[in-house]
Amino acid sequence: MASTACFMIVSKNDIPIYEAEVGTVPKKEDAAHQHQFILHAALDIVQDMAWTTSAMFLKAIDRFNDLVVSVYVTAGHTRLMLLHDSRNDDGIKSFFQEVHELYIKTILNPLYLPGSRITSSHFDTKVRALARKYL
Amino acid sequence: MDPKILKYFLLVHDNQDSMLEKATAILTEMRSTFGANNCRLLCINSSADCVEEHQENPWASYNNSASNNKQFGCFLNVDDIGELRNTMHDLSSKHIIPHMELKIRVLNQQVSATRKGFRNQIKNLWWRKGKEDAPENPNGPMYTFSSTESQIRVLGDYAFMLRDYELALSNYRLISTDYKLDKAWKHYAGVQEMMGLAYFMLDQSRKDAEYCMENAFTTYLKIGSSRNATRCGIWWAEMLKARDQFKDAAGVYFRISGEEPLHSAVMLEQASYCFLLSTPTMLRKYGFHLVLSGDLYKKCDQIKHAIRTYKSALSVFKGSAWNHIRDHVHFHIGKWYAFLGMFDEAIKHVLEVLACGHQSKATQELFLRDFFQIIQETGKTFEVLTLQLPMINFPSTKVVFEDHRTYASPAASSVRESLWQSLEEDMVPALSVMKTNWLESQSKMLPRKYKESNVCVAGEPIKVDVSFRNPLQIPISISNVSLVCKHSTEYHEAESDANGSLMDHQSDEELRTVSMSGDFSLDTSLFTLSEVDILMQGGETILVQLTVTPRVEGTLKVVGVRWKLSGSVVGIYNFSSDIIRKGVAKGKRKPKQSVKDNLQFLVIKSLPRLEGVIHNFPRTVYAGDLRRLTLELRNPSKISVKNLKMRISHPRFLNIADKEVMNLEFPNCLRKQTNSSPSGMQVDSAKARNSIFVFPKTTSISCETPLKWPLWLRAAAPGSISLYITIYYEMEDESPVITYRTLRMHYNLEVLPSLEVSFQASPCPSRSQEFLVRMDVINRTSSESFHVHQVSCVGDQWELALLQPLDTVFPLEFLTAGQALSCFLKLKNCRKRGTTEDNISSPATSGKADVRLVGSDSSGLFDTSTSPFNLFHHHERLHQERQNQGYGSTVDFIVISESRSDSDASGVPKTIEVFSHHTCHFRIGSKSPIWWLMDGPRTVRHDFSTAFCEINLRMIVYNSTEYVVSVRINTLDSTPVINSVNVAASVSSNEVGWYDMSHLSEIKVTSDARGTRVGKAPQPENVSPFIWSGSSSTQLNLGPLSSAEVPLQICMFSPGTYDLSNYSLHWNLVSSGVGGDDENGSNVSSGTCLGDSYHITVLQKE
Repeated sequence: MASTACFMIVSKNDIPIYEAEVGTVPKKEDAAHQHQFILHAALDIVQDMAWTTSAMFLKAIDRFNDLVVSVYVTAGHTRLMLLHDSRNDDGIKSFFQEVHELYIKTILNPLYLPGSRITSSHFDTKVRALARKYL
Repeated sequence: MDPKILKYFLLVHDNQDSMLEKATAILTEMRSTFGANNCRLLCINSSADCVEEHQENPWASYNNSASNNKQFGCFLNVDDIGELRNTMHDLSSKHIIPHMELKIRVLNQQVSATRKGFRNQIKNLWWRKGKEDAPENPNGPMYTFSSTESQIRVLGDYAFMLRDYELALSNYRLISTDYKLDKAWKHYAGVQEMMGLAYFMLDQSRKDAEYCMENAFTTYLKIGSSRNATRCGIWWAEMLKARDQFKDAAGVYFRISGEEPLHSAVMLEQASYCFLLSTPTMLRKYGFHLVLSGDLYKKCDQIKHAIRTYKSALSVFKGSAWNHIRDHVHFHIGKWYAFLGMFDEAIKHVLEVLACGHQSKATQELFLRDFFQIIQETGKTFEVLTLQLPMINFPSTKVVFEDHRTYASPAASSVRESLWQSLEEDMVPALSVMKTNWLESQSKMLPRKYKESNVCVAGEPIKVDVSFRNPLQIPISISNVSLVCKHSTEYHEAESDANGSLMDHQSDEELRTVSMSGDFSLDTSLFTLSEVDILMQGGETILVQLTVTPRVEGTLKVVGVRWKLSGSVVGIYNFSSDIIRKGVAKGKRKPKQSVKDNLQFLVIKSLPRLEGVIHNFPRTVYAGDLRRLTLELRNPSKISVKNLKMRISHPRFLNIADKEVMNLEFPNCLRKQTNSSPSGMQVDSAKARNSIFVFPKTTSISCETPLKWPLWLRAAAPGSISLYITIYYEMEDESPVITYRTLRMHYNLEVLPSLEVSFQASPCPSRSQEFLVRMDVINRTSSESFHVHQVSCVGDQWELALLQPLDTVFPLEFLTAGQALSCFLKLKNCRKRGTTEDNISSPATSGKADVRLVGSDSSGLFDTSTSPFNLFHHHERLHQERQNQGYGSTVDFIVISESRSDSDASGVPKTIEVFSHHTCHFRIGSKSPIWWLMDGPRTVRHDFSTAFCEINLRMIVYNSTEYVVSVRINTLDSTPVINSVNVAASVSSNEVGWYDMSHLSEIKVTSDARGTRVGKAPQPENVSPFIWSGSSSTQLNLGPLSSAEVPLQICMFSPGTYDLSNYSLHWNLVSSGVGGDDENGSNVSSGTCLGDSYHITVLQKE
């Protein structure tokens, strides 16, 4: 399990629709905005990278100090972004795949408006469980 | 250091100071000393008195940071400038370049002699190998100027300066390996750096250039020479920028930034600009690096720079959905501005982050604390137009005002307007009557505009419900919440328009003053505002009702809401600006009008306003509960009102009683009086249907004398029901705008199920006009017990009697919760032919229709023929109207029960509650309009040896309808088979062509109401053992409610028991009154009835 990890889902309009701190280190007050800053800046890189490869999983595309950003771009250009300090690539990849599946289930919900915030507590607990399992 | 540097001596002579002779003397002296070629005289400032004007700064093309505001060289004339130029040209072309060329030549010879060629290479290698064992110097080996390495380096530099990059590169390459082998890292890095530059200038291999720069940079970092690393990095970044590799350049800048904050801040800022310039533009990276650099600027107290960078970053993050980022940027800008003492800017930015529901509680507290700190430092109370704390949910804002519609309770005002309108439809004079007559003076008095704006009455409050929401998790206190209103006494349309438009374009400051002055000057006389203080817990939503009461006629406009947050900041919310911005239509009252009009009111002079209340209106009652209530109307004003009318939405539940009922004792007044005059009061059906009650002309309510009027309440059906009452009245003195008003009252009633009464009736097999009725009563309540008092049937043709006293079946007096009771009653129709007057709905007066179930005496019986029983019975009948198929008569039952509230302990006398349950249109007859009875011997003894047996029978046919019916009796010898097509056709003469199977089967079943005749059809194959003799078909006409006898004869051939059911009756309504009666219009006008089974036994006579 990574000591610091911030997971975020960004809709195709660059609006964050889900965010979770999944690291083991107790959350610091100023970390929240710092993580947002890094992930937000990494979107610029994703924008370049996403169209150059057919892979969905973009491994470690950006880094800030010792924090690394890995991104998983879905077919609908929703981006699952993980800020982490561990090097567990396989784990991250499986984490992304499982969360992608969860996300698809969420958008299958007829009451969920695509692109709106994911407020389901079920989704939240599932994502946290996956983070414990893989990261 | 090279001791043999180029020497050149220049004597500068200023013509302003002294004459030229002295200078030439010095020059000759210099020439003799330093050599003739190396000295030169330069004369400047030849022109006198600062008159020389130059078009431009003569150094402008050489100095890129020259400022033009200073006049340079104003003493120089054209010759001087030419002289200057010549001197410099002479210096470079005749001395420096030849010197350098000479140097290169010499050095090149030396280098080729020592290092070029295979032999020299080997020697060099061997020599350096030998040096490996030498002790490591921490700074690397020292190279003197005369050493070969330094010579090569100088040669390279000269070549580089003279733009012979190939030569420079070859030399640098030569020594870079040497330095590397010597582990002279600093020298190595320097050479690498120069190689990178040389590669770049050659523009041949980008990769090599970058490789060299990278090498140099990392080497510098390795030996900890950050100064050199920075220089190298800047070279590198510039190199990349020149090739449009901005992204890489940004990366280099990012790498340069080291520990020292200011240094890093500058470099990060440069990096951010690289991101901005790159294609595609990386705005997010730009913003991020600006923020990073801003943080570092702040760290070294460069707050202005920090604000500058943050403000640039704000252009990226403004309005972003990434709320943590946005809050961070706004909050820090605000804080830093406050630090600099620019509080206006500070407040503007901190305001943006106040509504930060997503942040943690600690952060919210920090934001709020800092905000109040800034406010305190300013020492002023601010009025803020965009204060987001608390948030106002504008669409849920509701305006309640009373023009001609007044409301008795807040609940009444929340009822849909259409509901009231439908209720008042007939009562209120039509609007067109008021408007169309153009001759009328009143329409001219008011501009057309005010026809469209809302009307309110002076002295009556306008209520505005505003919902505030606290987005934070921490409680906030809000005080002095009030409306902001504008009042103008003029009626001039133009002026108010101008005023309105002014309002929209006003800047923030102007609006501040307007609202302030508006408050202080108008508060006292023109209108009064209510002020509310609230304390909101975290995340709470509070609906605040604010009122404004206009005092003077004119126009009143509700502009917005103002409140004070924590006693320091005044927030103003402007309704109209929001409407314009969002275009939210909130026209609750009048959807057709624009919203802006909804907040503009025409204030007219005060009018009487009735206040109405129903005393002791129960919230929860049991079904059937019958009560008397009192409506009290009060008129607080001096002017009396007239023409009162009232309408109730559900007359089945609530009805208007007679005025006299007020003084009677309830419920004893409902009981049958022994000496009662024949009350015979019939329900005026027209009046009941219309249900507008007009108060007597004499009733006019004036000041201080309330009008009391009794009402009957009967909880007709279980469930919750909303009762609406509207009272119309007119004013004594004519007002131009409002001629009438309505008072709207609204009550909610929850009705719990109590007794469930059901009846079953079956006709008496022997007598045609008597029925056996079974009554089932179930107590559906959970705790209440009832006392079933009496059962009555409505209509004077009915007689009702108990089959056996109830005490034997049901000894208990009370029917407790969950208990059921059933008893049998005998119902007799005593209506004879000729008594056909249409008084079914009028309850009986004979007294035989009522049966007391408990007790024996008939004294305590309730009189169901009087109000309110007949009133409610009428509505029940209307309500329980059902599809009237078939012809048997119907009967209505009323069951009355009592419940005594057990309040003996408290000493309150027992109050009796009366419950009435109505069952209407209960059908006792069959579906067909005719009855018949077969009459004849049941057992016959006959000697079959002599002859076959002939039996005479009699059939009595009775017509129970009020029309003439023609009946045809067919006797069938074969099996009676129902021809289904016939039935279908007979069922619906007006629905020819419909052939619906389900309908058909339903008809079969319903026509089979009296038995199961279809099922027992005899076997078709055998010939029946008897035959009908005489005519096989008899036709006769029956008058209304009359009977006839038809003789029939049957022949038997052998002894046995026979079922004489193989006959059928066809009936046909003779169309005397069918068409006229629309109730029977959809009814069956003809039909077929199969015969009843009539068993006859024939025995062989001995």
